[in-house]
Amino acid sequence: MTYGSGTTGAPGTGTAGAAGAGAAGTGALTSVFVRIKLSLLRNGLRQSSGRTAVFVVSIVFALLFAAGQLLGMLLLRGHAQAATLAVLLTAVTALGWAVMPLFFPSGDETLDPTRLVMLPLRAGPLVWALLVASLVGIGPLFTLCLAVGAGISVAHGAFAVAVAVFAVPLVLLVCLALARAVAAANIRLLTSRKGRDLALLSGLVVAIGIQVVNFGAQRLGQAGGLARLEPAADVARWVPPASAVGAVDSASRGAYGAAVAQLLLSVVALAALLYWWQRSLTKLMTAPDGSTVAAAGTDTGRGGSGAGWARLLPEGRTGAVVQRALRYAWRDPKAKSGWVTALALGLIVPVFNALQGHGSVYWACFAAGLLGTLMYNQFGQDTSAFWIVAMTVSSKRDAYVELRARAVALLLVTLPYATLVTVVTVAVLGDWGVLAEGLGLSYGLLGAMLGVGAWASAFFPYSIPQDSAYKNAAPGQGGLAWASMMGGMLLAAVLCGPLIAVAVWTHVASAEPWVLLPLGAVWGALLTWGGLHLAAGRTARRLPEILTAVSKA
Amino acid sequence: MPEQGREVDAVGGTPEAAPPAVRVEGLGKRFGEQVAVAGVDLVLPAGRFVGLVGPNGAGKTTTLSMVTGLLRPDQGRVEVAGHDVWRDPAAVKARIGVLPEGLRLFERLSGRELLAYTGRLRGLPGAEVDKRATQLLDVLDLAGSQHKLVIDYSTGMRKKIGLAAALLHNPEVLFLDEPFEGVDPVSAQTIRGVLERYTASGATVVFSSHVMELVESLCDWVAVMAAGRIRAHGPLAEVRGDAPTLQRAFLELVGAQGRDAGESLDWLGGAR
Repeated sequence: MTYGSGTTGAPGTGTAGAAGAGAAGTGALTSVFVRIKLSLLRNGLRQSSGRTAVFVVSIVFALLFAAGQLLGMLLLRGHAQAATLAVLLTAVTALGWAVMPLFFPSGDETLDPTRLVMLPLRAGPLVWALLVASLVGIGPLFTLCLAVGAGISVAHGAFAVAVAVFAVPLVLLVCLALARAVAAANIRLLTSRKGRDLALLSGLVVAIGIQVVNFGAQRLGQAGGLARLEPAADVARWVPPASAVGAVDSASRGAYGAAVAQLLLSVVALAALLYWWQRSLTKLMTAPDGSTVAAAGTDTGRGGSGAGWARLLPEGRTGAVVQRALRYAWRDPKAKSGWVTALALGLIVPVFNALQGHGSVYWACFAAGLLGTLMYNQFGQDTSAFWIVAMTVSSKRDAYVELRARAVALLLVTLPYATLVTVVTVAVLGDWGVLAEGLGLSYGLLGAMLGVGAWASAFFPYSIPQDSAYKNAAPGQGGLAWASMMGGMLLAAVLCGPLIAVAVWTHVASAEPWVLLPLGAVWGALLTWGGLHLAAGRTARRLPEILTAVSKA
Repeated sequence: MPEQGREVDAVGGTPEAAPPAVRVEGLGKRFGEQVAVAGVDLVLPAGRFVGLVGPNGAGKTTTLSMVTGLLRPDQGRVEVAGHDVWRDPAAVKARIGVLPEGLRLFERLSGRELLAYTGRLRGLPGAEVDKRATQLLDVLDLAGSQHKLVIDYSTGMRKKIGLAAALLHNPEVLFLDEPFEGVDPVSAQTIRGVLERYTASGATVVFSSHVMELVESLCDWVAVMAAGRIRAHGPLAEVRGDAPTLQRAFLELVGAQGRDAGESLDWLGGAR
């Protein structure tokens, strides 16, 4: 893809064909890039009304959030901890900008310098043009609001305001330059398959991160509030771009020397980032593309079809399907992030709740329910590769074996895991008397989710886009995906009704709760069996329609 | 036009006792307003190397998808090796191999794993699958990359592993949608060799393409498709008729003769 050594390195080449472009200065180039950015944005929105709606909603939310933050900072003005919070928020935002390109290589095509390689551009003007162009967007707007809020909350006095006038744009520019420089330095990784896989795992980072932040915030709330953050803020106020906000604070407190030093620190950081970015760009645009070389390396880690654990599986379709499902759970980033999210949250939520003292054994069913969602939209998870399955299924029996094998693959992991989560939760609660009830309900719910999941897979298949960590349904199928998931969960809960009734009865009548264990297991198995049968008939009859439904992305 | 096509067939078809490899009657499919396939009638004799040619958007992929049971037709009947595709799917699916265009493979499996998986879905014994897979990987020059994930394969390698998966159960009829699209000359030659050997054994290959030279050099039976209809079909020599090449005959059939580049590009190649 990169042929660029002649176009950027040697003067004289390319001038004949692009006399106008060759003469373009930084200013003209900048306006071109800003216009490209706006055009891309506009064309992206024009493609579908759904996308426009998402964009408008996200901009409204971002603005509301930014406005709320701005207001919060304004209210905080004069508070003892205002500087701590302002500095730390700036630092966290900058950190976000630094890691964002690794996990969210957004739809921003101006970001990818390999697209510009064939043009006679020099890295110097290019860097400025790209930097200015990247000011267009929701993220920069959000950051600007935050920086303005941070500046206002700590600026007291004329000198401090003057510092703030420099500091606020500086924060924004450092954040953008940071994101761009990191992206440019890692573009090889980001455009390779491994990089895209990494990006697909970002859903995982977000899902688990939210839980961690949630519990962290609860801890902070219990343990004395913002004062605990002061040591961190003392470090952050010397780290760019938070040091720019620190400079405003220093100026307010009369420490002029410190203020100037902190401001300079951010300026130097900006210059260094721009230099680093420019060097990465030059290297990118003149060096041969290494991605194919890396891809050509053979990985001998994967054994043949007869890998150790696979020998334990039965012959024929069941073994083949189980093996593929488990391989996909590990190798496919989308499947993996689904698995890891379900496994992690399935453990975190019940156990943390138990640890915090307001848990109950019923929370342990959360793991079973969450893991059960993996059974939904089985064929959508295959993407259009489902044709291979469709080509080999020619009877209800085939379809039944196929679906049963997928359920078995799930059960191999989920059954021991749901058991483990229940046992751990009960151990933390210290009430072993409820173990049988918890296990019974977990098994019942797991069975119901598997059965309903199989049924929903056959009756409401939809496509899962493979290029985004967040889109779990193709355009136009979002409602279908949502309805099948929500409706399915509701249905599973309803199907567990008899089991819940028995559980309530054992409590009311003070009966032995252990009956729930065999009852739950049998009821769950029955529901799975029923769901698989309903699904198998439908699947065998509607193979072409399912293939069409799952091939839309 | 289809009637005319059938006449060519009646003249050129050899009187064989065995059922034709493919018999299609009145096949039609529309997507919303757009008619993709508008009543196709086609009889393809067994044991031939059949080329389905036509410009982009002619309905080749839609036709092949319906013939192989991957897409449900709005109307019409399809028989493969004497079995109705929609009434007797078990008999048909066991007898055909398919390499579709534009559909994924299970790309997070390695080449060898993909073959092992496909073979076992087909109900072949594991040891037999592994033996055949080894030979196919060898012949198709994929042995060196057999443990690489298919997602890291090049286009040519994907087509070859797809072909291997389609051949694994030794089908009677092989349907290949654009098997040479984006394939380098070396891989193309390998694919060709395998296909020629396969048809020599009496099996049928039906493949679609818009590269006329390729079809002319490979096929002994041709069906020309345009705008959702069969314009002509029969032995290569008959379809070609008096035209010097299949390319010329094809352009005449689809009515795309004599389109000039025009004078609007007069600056191109002029003074710089």
